[in-house]
Amino acid sequence: MTPLAKNSPKERDSALLVAIAAGDRRALEELYLSYHRRLARFLSRFTPRYENIEEIINDTFMVVWQNAKDFRNASQVSTWVIGIAYRTALKSFRRQKNHHLARSLEDYPEQTVDPTSDAEVNDWLKHGLSRLPIEQRLTLELAYHMGHSLEEIAAITDCPVGTVKARMFHAREKLRQYLPALGGGPSELPARIG
Amino acid sequence: MTHNRRFENSAEHQEVCALLPWYVNDTLADTERQKVDAHLGGCAVCRDDLAVHKRILEGINAQPALDYMPVASLKRLQARLDVAQAQTALPPIPPLEPSRSDAPWPGWMAASIAAMAVAIGLLAADRWVQFEVRATKPNYQTVTTSIPRPQGEVIRAVFSPNITLVELQTILDEAQLKIVSGPTEAGVYSLASNSTLTVRSSLALLRQHSTVRFAEETLAEPESGNSP
Repeated sequence: MTPLAKNSPKERDSALLVAIAAGDRRALEELYLSYHRRLARFLSRFTPRYENIEEIINDTFMVVWQNAKDFRNASQVSTWVIGIAYRTALKSFRRQKNHHLARSLEDYPEQTVDPTSDAEVNDWLKHGLSRLPIEQRLTLELAYHMGHSLEEIAAITDCPVGTVKARMFHAREKLRQYLPALGGGPSELPARIG
Repeated sequence: MTHNRRFENSAEHQEVCALLPWYVNDTLADTERQKVDAHLGGCAVCRDDLAVHKRILEGINAQPALDYMPVASLKRLQARLDVAQAQTALPPIPPLEPSRSDAPWPGWMAASIAAMAVAIGLLAADRWVQFEVRATKPNYQTVTTSIPRPQGEVIRAVFSPNITLVELQTILDEAQLKIVSGPTEAGVYSLASNSTLTVRSSLALLRQHSTVRFAEETLAEPESGNSP
């Protein structure tokens, strides 16, 4: 553990990235260990196979290693790292032919489920999430699982804020149509999301 | 209802509707949060939407999270970095300077031959090194390969890659074992006894768990100097 550990997480990440840019492998290892759990938990929501999770995380940190010198503090280090992981994951999930993306909720327009208990609702919610278009699901998980703000998600996904809001709106609508037990009635798409 | 319809068509309603996910995850700025609070008081549609967002958030976070051990993954990343650094460390072939002689092609040809000679030399050296490595030791290692034993090692074990730290520690506590080394690149842990429990008993306790993929007592090292 380096003396950087006693700084705040943001300061520590920035100092580690400066060291990584200078070719410090130990700094990369420290950054890797500090992000592995968060990224692995996030990615495990999309794929049950640890080989895939590890591949995405290690690809992410290869990019961090190669591009650390180009980081210009336009965002937080955490947003930058998670943004790289987001793009790496997106490519990986699109490559996987057996991924659920091939069968989206739109392929089942008439299908709805009506569970009764909270546990059943959670099970069906998991099922419904797995059938959302991947960009919508990633947006939803970044907000609800990772706890990112609207602006952070826009930076991570490299999209305008309005696109993030629209993805979230469509994700919620599809889930609600699929799973009426979530409550509420159908909404009309707002004329302006921005 | 009329009240709600009035809201639904307003720009404020649409703006608040789009902010609700971040109201729920508590990342809105104070000014936006106050705007949402003020709107929610008079808009049943947004209150319904808010309930849906809360339900989705609760459902997502109710799903169990898996923890993975990063050490073996980090070792594989380090191996990739080693390869990448070795590749970039190879000396680049210097750019050819334009020949100033009257007949330019002999200089160009000489440089090409020199570059090819360097490349062939590097290739041959690489092959020779690989041959030497293969000749001296196998290019693989089994979990029972004779390698220097960590101090106190009595058992070698491999766990499921999905095992959590808590699960691993619980299994080791139950079998009264402790980690003295590992995991290796193959995921092998060296375990030492933590009590007076016999190795055989610890082994039996380990093998009860489905997350233990492999567990064997470490073979006694042959004493040097013994004749067959």
